[in-house]
Amino acid sequence: MEQLIKDLKLQIKEALNLEELSLEDFDENAPLFGEEGIGLDSIDVLEIIVLLEKHYGIRLANSKEGKAIFHSVKTIAEYVQANRKK
Amino acid sequence: MISAISTNIISPLGFTTEENYQAVLSGRSALRRYDEYPPLKGGCAKAEPFAASLFSEEQRAALSLDGYTFFEAIAIRSACEALAQTSLDTSSPRVVLLLSTTKGDIGVYPSDAAQRIARALGVSTTPIVVCNACVSGLSAQLLADYLLSADLYDYAIVVGAEVQSKFIVAGFQSLKAVSDEPCRPFDIERTGLNLGEAAATIIFKGQTPSNSPLKGEKQSSTVNSLPLREGWGASGGLAGAWYLIAAAARNDAFHIVSPSPQGDGCYKAIEAVMAGRDKSQLATVCVHGTATLFNDQMESKAIERAGLTDIPLSALKGYYGHTMGAAGVLETILTMRATDDGLVLPSKGFTELGVSGKVSISSKSRRSSKTSFLKLLSGFGGCNVAALFSRGKGQGARNKSRSLIKKHTISLSSKDGKSLTDIYKQEVGDYPKFYKMDILTRLAFLAAELLKKESLPIEGEAWKGSPLILFNHSSSIVSDRQFLTTISDDNLFPSPSVFVYTLPNITAGEVAIRHHINCETSFYILPKRDEALMQQILEATLSATGATSALSGWVDAKSETSFECELSIYEMNNEEVATAL
Repeated sequence: MEQLIKDLKLQIKEALNLEELSLEDFDENAPLFGEEGIGLDSIDVLEIIVLLEKHYGIRLANSKEGKAIFHSVKTIAEYVQANRKK
Repeated sequence: MISAISTNIISPLGFTTEENYQAVLSGRSALRRYDEYPPLKGGCAKAEPFAASLFSEEQRAALSLDGYTFFEAIAIRSACEALAQTSLDTSSPRVVLLLSTTKGDIGVYPSDAAQRIARALGVSTTPIVVCNACVSGLSAQLLADYLLSADLYDYAIVVGAEVQSKFIVAGFQSLKAVSDEPCRPFDIERTGLNLGEAAATIIFKGQTPSNSPLKGEKQSSTVNSLPLREGWGASGGLAGAWYLIAAAARNDAFHIVSPSPQGDGCYKAIEAVMAGRDKSQLATVCVHGTATLFNDQMESKAIERAGLTDIPLSALKGYYGHTMGAAGVLETILTMRATDDGLVLPSKGFTELGVSGKVSISSKSRRSSKTSFLKLLSGFGGCNVAALFSRGKGQGARNKSRSLIKKHTISLSSKDGKSLTDIYKQEVGDYPKFYKMDILTRLAFLAAELLKKESLPIEGEAWKGSPLILFNHSSSIVSDRQFLTTISDDNLFPSPSVFVYTLPNITAGEVAIRHHINCETSFYILPKRDEALMQQILEATLSATGATSALSGWVDAKSETSFECELSIYEMNNEEVATAL
C-alpha cells in the first residue's frame, strides 16, 4: 500500500502537471477537490481516469463514477488495490 | 447588415441545400454506431463505440478532387455550388474567403489548406481561417459582417467544413462526451454528442450606398434582382433576402471546457443581440444542443433567463451530429429554409425534457409565420455566439468607424533565450494552472500578465469589455503532435488535458478566465503575420461591436523552442485623421 501510494502520487503529479506540489507536501489524505484541498477540476478527473486504465487496467465509465472514488490519494489507492488488473 | 445571396450544404444527407432540407423533412439522419475507428482517417485500433454521421465510401469517391485532400474537396465543392448560383467574379479584390474549421486536416497548416481552396475558387485575396472551436461557423459569419460593414470587401464566401478523424473522436471520447447512440438533444436520457462531417457555404453581400453594380460582380448580370433559385424560397418566392441583422459573441470566463452552469456567456450574447427587439417576432431559436449533459442544461438556463421560454426551439444535431466548424453555417442554412416554409424543424432525438431551464422544444414539426430566428452556438474556450437572422431588412446598428493605435505592447520570443517557466516564476508565480497550459497558451497568458503589469492602473472594468482577438499561422500544431503520441495504435490512451489545447482559441479562453474578459474572444489563422490585415480585422471588429479598446496580437508556436508573441492593448486613435476617401 505504501509503495502504491508513492507511485500514485508520482503518476498524478505527472499527469496533472502539479509542478509546484512537492512529494513531501502531497498529503495522501488531503481532499483532491474543493477549495480546502489540492483544487483539481473536471479535466483532472478525466486524466486520473486515463491514468488508472493505463497503469492499472481499471476502466471507469464516466467522471461521475470517478469523483466518488477520487476523494484523496488514499481512497484512490484503496480502490486500485481492490480492483487492479495490472 | 449583410445579406445571404446563396447557400450550399454537402453532407451525408445530400450535396445541395435542397437535398439536405428534404432529407431532414423526411426525418433522415446518417448517424450510426461504429465499433472501431476505421473508416476514420488515422485509425486501425479498436475503439470505444461511438455514433457519428460520416460520408460513405461512395460519397467520398463522388466528392473527391484530384490533388486535394477530402477536407479541401468538400470545402471547394460546397463553395463552387454556392458560387454557381451567383454571378460573382471571385478574382475581384472585393471578395474574401472565410474558412471555418476546428481541425482542418490534422498535421496541415490550416492556412495552407485555405490558400489551396481559395486558389481553386479563383479567389485572389488572403483567406482567413476562423478557428474558434465549435462556434467557428457563427464567428465566421460575424467576421463577414464586420469586414463587409467596414467596406473592406463587398462579398464574403463563408465556408464551414469539418471531416472526422481518430484524432477528433478519441479526443472527445477522452472527455467522456461521446454517445454510442444517436444523440438526444435536451432529452432526459441524453448520453453525449455524436460527431459529424459536412461542408456548408453561405455567400454574403454587403450593403452599398447606391444602386450601382457592386465591384466584384460580373458586368453581364443584373445586380439587385437575383432570379429565384430552384428550391430556394419554394414556398412562395423571395420576399427580400435573408439578412444577418445582429450578432454577438460573449465569453463565459469560467472554464476552458465546461460552460458556465447558469449559461452566463450564452445569456449575455442573447441579450446583446435581442436588446430592444421584439422577442415574439422569432420563429425559432436554433440551439447548439449537442446532447451533452452540461451544454444542454446550460443552454436551457440561458434561454429561460433571456425570456425566450415560449419561443419554439429547434435542435438539429440529431440529423447531422456535431459538424463542428461546419455546424454554424449548416444549421443556419437549414433554419432559413425551414422558416421560409413556415416550419420549425423537429428536434430529432428529443422525447422528454431533461433540463431544468423552462424551454419549448419538440420532436414534432411546428408552424410559425414569423420571419426571423436566433441561432446559438457555444464552444470550448468559453465561447458563446448568438446571431439574429431576418427575412427582409430589419433594424441594424450603425457602425462607428474605428481607428486604433497600440497603447502598450509586450513581445516574447524564443529568440530572447528566456524560458517561459522562468518568466512565470519571476513575474507571476500565483497561478499553478500555468503548468497545465501548452506552450501556445503559456505564451499568450504570460504576455497578457506582463501587459497588465505594464499598463497599470487599469480599472477593473476595462479589460472585461475589450474583445480579445488573437492570430497565428501554426494553429495548435505543438499540442496536435503531443496528442497524436497519446493515440498511437499500440498505445491508445487519449489525454483529455492535451486534447483541450488542440484548439488554438483555448489560449484566448485562458486569458479570458484570468482577466474576467466577458466580451468576444476570437482566433484567426493567417498565411503569415500580416500586420495590415490584422489591423483591418481588429478595427472592423471594434467598429461593429462598439468596443473602444481591444487586446490583440500574434501568438505562434511551432515547437517548444520556437515561438513568438506580440500582444498589445489597442485604444482608439483620438487624433483627427484627414482621410482622402
